[in-house]
Amino acid sequence: MELLDIITDETVFIGLEASSQEECLQAMAGGMEKAGILSNKDVYIAAVAEREHKGSTGIGFGVAIPHGKSSGVQTPGLAFARLKSPVEWNSLDGKPVQLVFLIGVPEEAAGDAHIKILIALSRKLVHAEFREKMLAVNSTAELYQVLQAI
Amino acid sequence: MTSVTGIIKNSAGFHLRPAQLFVEKANEFKAKVMVKNEKGMSVAGKSILGLMTLGVECGSQIIIETEGEDEVSAAQALLDLINSKFGEE
Repeated sequence: MELLDIITDETVFIGLEASSQEECLQAMAGGMEKAGILSNKDVYIAAVAEREHKGSTGIGFGVAIPHGKSSGVQTPGLAFARLKSPVEWNSLDGKPVQLVFLIGVPEEAAGDAHIKILIALSRKLVHAEFREKMLAVNSTAELYQVLQAI
Repeated sequence: MTSVTGIIKNSAGFHLRPAQLFVEKANEFKAKVMVKNEKGMSVAGKSILGLMTLGVECGSQIIIETEGEDEVSAAQALLDLINSKFGEE
């Protein structure tokens, strides 16, 4: 699974202003809708919120990986946001989140599509260098470079 | 050191939620915890990201190695968690 294949200009938010998790998810899902990843934004957000309710996707290091498998998703997609100011995410380490990777996969997608995306993402996020660079990128082009390089 | 072998039985494999539950359980013990996949890749058992990078799928085997004063109870508790399919399904 190549992350670069499922992320697009419309789903990259650098310096996103959001005061809460909900606001952040709304904005990012809006980008996914524009990019044609979502067929029904509300249905998708409800699935993401339900997953979040089962247990926070804030994995620590100021990173969250919210995700939803939903009939509101047309094709697998990834959105990225670096928030202007960190927001509360009930993370395991108690720290607020500044880097958000939002994953969407269609309901009928092969059972493990979102797991493959999660694995690909975690293999990058495990490197402190990757996390630092994601916090420092200033443009979508730079973001793509970091995603490709690490 | 105590070493136990378990099979991941939940259909979606060892993804975010199981990894979180595994780390929470591992943190209940003082023992150092390492987890190995079938390819011999070894990661810290108290790191969610580390565990996710193993890419363990349903039916795969993992080896849990614990070291410290409570290593036996830690290994057993983590094996029980895997066998419970992490409460999924």
